Amino acid sequence: MTLGRALGLSALLCAGMAQAQSQSPEALGWLRKIHDATHKLSYAGTFVYRNGSRSETSRITRLVDASGSIEKVEVMDGVPREIVRTHDTVRCYLPEARVVKVERQADHRGTERGFPALLPERISALARHYDISLGQADRVAGLDCQTVKLTPKDNLRYGHTLYADMKTGMLLKAETLDAKGEVIEQFSFTEFRVGAVPRERLKTRHATQAWRVEDSGATPANLAGAGWGLSSELPGFRKVTELRRRVGEAGSVGQVVYSDGLAAVSVFIEPLEGRRDPVRTGLASIGAIHIYTREVARHMVTVVGEAPAASVQRIANAVEFRRPQQ
Amino acid sequence: MKERISQLMDGELDERSAADAIAACGRGGDALETWRTYHLISDGMRDTRVLSAGFSARLAERLAAEPTVLAPRRSRAESRTWFVASAAASFAAVGLVGWLAFAPQPGNAPAQIAEVQKINTQEMPPVLVPPPSAANDYLLAHQGFSPRVSFQGMAPYVRSVSSPGRESRK
Repeated sequence: MTLGRALGLSALLCAGMAQAQSQSPEALGWLRKIHDATHKLSYAGTFVYRNGSRSETSRITRLVDASGSIEKVEVMDGVPREIVRTHDTVRCYLPEARVVKVERQADHRGTERGFPALLPERISALARHYDISLGQADRVAGLDCQTVKLTPKDNLRYGHTLYADMKTGMLLKAETLDAKGEVIEQFSFTEFRVGAVPRERLKTRHATQAWRVEDSGATPANLAGAGWGLSSELPGFRKVTELRRRVGEAGSVGQVVYSDGLAAVSVFIEPLEGRRDPVRTGLASIGAIHIYTREVARHMVTVVGEAPAASVQRIANAVEFRRPQQ
Repeated sequence: MKERISQLMDGELDERSAADAIAACGRGGDALETWRTYHLISDGMRDTRVLSAGFSARLAERLAAEPTVLAPRRSRAESRTWFVASAAASFAAVGLVGWLAFAPQPGNAPAQIAEVQKINTQEMPPVLVPPPSAANDYLLAHQGFSPRVSFQGMAPYVRSVSSPGRESRK
């Protein structure tokens, strides 16, 4: 086959794929099913997180009963970590450092911590930025699955393939794909069981009385009013929330979150005064997460998001400070 | 040699020196690399569409992989020549359109140049740095606002930076 013919053929294939990717109500239905299962099921399982050559196994347990939901993740490989969410609080236990990091919901508009941005009625709005289609049936952790594909309509966001349990709708495997269609990050259950477990099993296994507590102390804030904003927004990404909080040992840090309904990008803004290390402008990658750091108006701006490097960098470069009008 | 190649590109060499410089590029090595780099820089400055690194090598490879004509079959040979010629023509066309589209218009030239330079700075490939020391704290702070949690529960919270020495004890 000549190069010319190969190009022609691939153009035809692309056209065919575009047609097959029209929004299907069935696919949106499956997204709702996944969403509901995530909120309503009690379960226990083991999943593997992969990015590049790195892979890490974790245990996850979730219990929903009359007194609310509680969820625990224990990372089994590398640095030991336990993350427990109850109602509106996430606690991250780091036994080696003897530190517990506490993330509390800043306001109570959302029903549950961790689910502020995607309400069921917003699922269909995802179709603005993604083609949502049903894929083939597959099998994960011994269970039959339906695959749902979210293909981005531009190169500002990643694609996703979701594998939902045929029976319960539970998400058993999630792949994040780059523009070339290569999997850059993957979560996949190796073992999954529906059913309640004793509440005791969802508490931390550590005695933490003597541990240092780092509370984020997040409170709603008006950073736009203080002069912070973007000179140009990234298409599809809207401001979701603005907070003041602590990050690790840093004092008061501003956090602005932008989201397209599926991907989110946080902009952290902290004053340079009192910082020991100089700001290193540049990009770092962790699987599908990119972190871009730069200095703006004597502040360190750190942009963190599960979006392509160029998107994270574009938001970082658009961050500006304008002295507020008196 | 670098200076000579720069002069060659600017048309400042006399015929003889130009021939020498071209011959040096033809021999490959540093001279050819300099020639390519300088063209990449000038493309970047004009915001012409830049071909990805190693494009010429890959094109040569693809062309080499094309079926070799062993018997003198006229029609086949012709169509291949036509393809190569037309490919060259389309690259030239892309270059021309790119140049025309971004060529400064008389009148508001400085503003336009400034605009193009601004775009260039924004689109420049980023410097790669190791994750900041507080990366895990930023990830923890960010994760709760990711709508992915709606589909995945707490699983995304396992994302973290693992340093070879593991997390530092405090």
